[in-house]
Amino acid sequence: MTTPATQTSPNSPTSSGAPAAAHPNVSAKAESALPTVAKMPSRLPGERPTTGIPFSRLTRVELRKQLDTRAGRWLIIAIGLVIGAALAINFFTDGGEHSFEDYLSATMLPTAIILPVIGILAVTSEWSQRTGLVTFALEPRRTRVAMAKLVSALLIGVAAFVLAFALAALVHQAAITFRGIDGDWSVGGLVVLGAGLYVLLGLMQGVAFGALFRNTPAAIVVYFVLPTVWGILGGLISWLDTPSKWLDMNRTMQPLFGGDLTGEQWAQLGTSVAVWVVLPLVVGIALLRRAEVK
Amino acid sequence: MITVERLTKRYGPFTAVDDISFEVKPGLVTGFLGPNGAGKTTAMRIMAGLTPPTSGTATVLGRPYSALPNPGRHVGVLLDASAQHAGRTGREVLSLGAALMGIDKSRVAEMLDVVGLTDKEAGRKVRNYSLGMRQRLGIAHALLGDPEVMILDEPANGLDPAGIRWMRDLLRGFAGEGGTVLLSSHLLNEIERVADELIVIGNGTIVAHGTKDELLAGAGTLVRSTDDDALMGALAEGSLVSRRTATGGLQVEAEPLEVGRVAAAKGIVLTELRGGDTRGLEEMFLELTSGSAREEVAA
Repeated sequence: MTTPATQTSPNSPTSSGAPAAAHPNVSAKAESALPTVAKMPSRLPGERPTTGIPFSRLTRVELRKQLDTRAGRWLIIAIGLVIGAALAINFFTDGGEHSFEDYLSATMLPTAIILPVIGILAVTSEWSQRTGLVTFALEPRRTRVAMAKLVSALLIGVAAFVLAFALAALVHQAAITFRGIDGDWSVGGLVVLGAGLYVLLGLMQGVAFGALFRNTPAAIVVYFVLPTVWGILGGLISWLDTPSKWLDMNRTMQPLFGGDLTGEQWAQLGTSVAVWVVLPLVVGIALLRRAEVK
Repeated sequence: MITVERLTKRYGPFTAVDDISFEVKPGLVTGFLGPNGAGKTTAMRIMAGLTPPTSGTATVLGRPYSALPNPGRHVGVLLDASAQHAGRTGREVLSLGAALMGIDKSRVAEMLDVVGLTDKEAGRKVRNYSLGMRQRLGIAHALLGDPEVMILDEPANGLDPAGIRWMRDLLRGFAGEGGTVLLSSHLLNEIERVADELIVIGNGTIVAHGTKDELLAGAGTLVRSTDDDALMGALAEGSLVSRRTATGGLQVEAEPLEVGRVAAAKGIVLTELRGGDTRGLEEMFLELTSGSAREEVAA
């Protein structure tokens, strides 16, 4: 039984007729009561819908769900704080003498590392908080729910990317204006693409791992530990070097930031994304479709 | 209208729901009664498309739940009042539901009013809600889309007696307007105050199904005497079927008059003799409960 200690609500007009404290031995409850006479809810006007929930509406609601909890809000705040700190360090060290690319990587790194947790939570909270009982009762087509979660997570990713980009530019300009550095705005198209992919692929991977495990701690630990372990093994064991070139996303994405990719490097990037992002997403959604919601 | 046909759900060697079939009719409140672990919740989750059945079908309004367009506007589902994000406020929970169903925000305030949650309470996080408040929020959520069918799992849990009366009035009113209601409970006296029709489930199978009146009429006679063994023998001689109840005494498939005659002829002293009333159903229910309890010990 859950009887919270803090209940302070006064009787509302709707509950004033409730038989509170009808018995002398029962102390008056601080909690509101049901109306004595049941009031029937009014009928909603119009016909009952014959068409399903539009995907745009589903996505909007999923977006709101990712941001209306403390976990969601704090993740956003945490990203903001880390970006702020990273930019401040670049601004104040070495006389602020850093290129725009340096500022950009300072904002992208924390964004790309923390943001996937939002993708993970978007799926796992349906099980850990058991809200799936309501979510999947209101939209039983679970693939659509999963896709709405993916799209809304990517929308957050795009917004974060644009904001991080703008902040990097702002602080770089500030360093030019106030610290008198020469400024270096040169930035390769591939670097921007790389930064964008870094953020968005991470989010997709987060949603995928969330769907695979449907358990917050498991998904978060595996999401962070598995690629790292794989990266270390690939670096240590010589015969893993070749597979690791194709299957370690940290390695396959590296050339993007160098600004030049060979055909083979594109193929390596594509392969690693297929294995780490697309495959988990497909398997995760297949599992999510069949999983029992309890 | 809910139709369940030959529904079975197995978890490994355990059969949670064992080949059940029934129909829940519109215009009536149907009670789904059974001890804890009898399979009520599993069956209801299957009806709401949340658990895939091993075999058999369940349809709501003539379709599988998953084929309903915007199901919240057709079916109100409350499976577990505690299954809400603890960090959302009550109002946010309802607002999300309304947004997804595509109904006006004003409906949220109306539903809060219907279940008597104050403005201040609606602004509080669900983690700070008592079980009764969560239950009321869950009922508000189930009513949000103005459904034709309600599927409610243990909705009276955590409500006080006044709350149970309120719910009876609400569900009666809902059924009176042609709605279909299926509500479960593991408490007989709770459900018999609300339901017109009863489906009794035990160990995954339907053990009784009918209107409340039918089930009560079929309760036979309950008799207690100073010598139940002798009485049982005498009844058997008169080819009257009797069996011992879990609470002592005999349950006889006959009218009290006949039982009284047999006892008088044999000179057996009766300490209690009465026709089937709620107690009959209660005896059956208690036996069901003790039966499943025994199995748990054995297993």
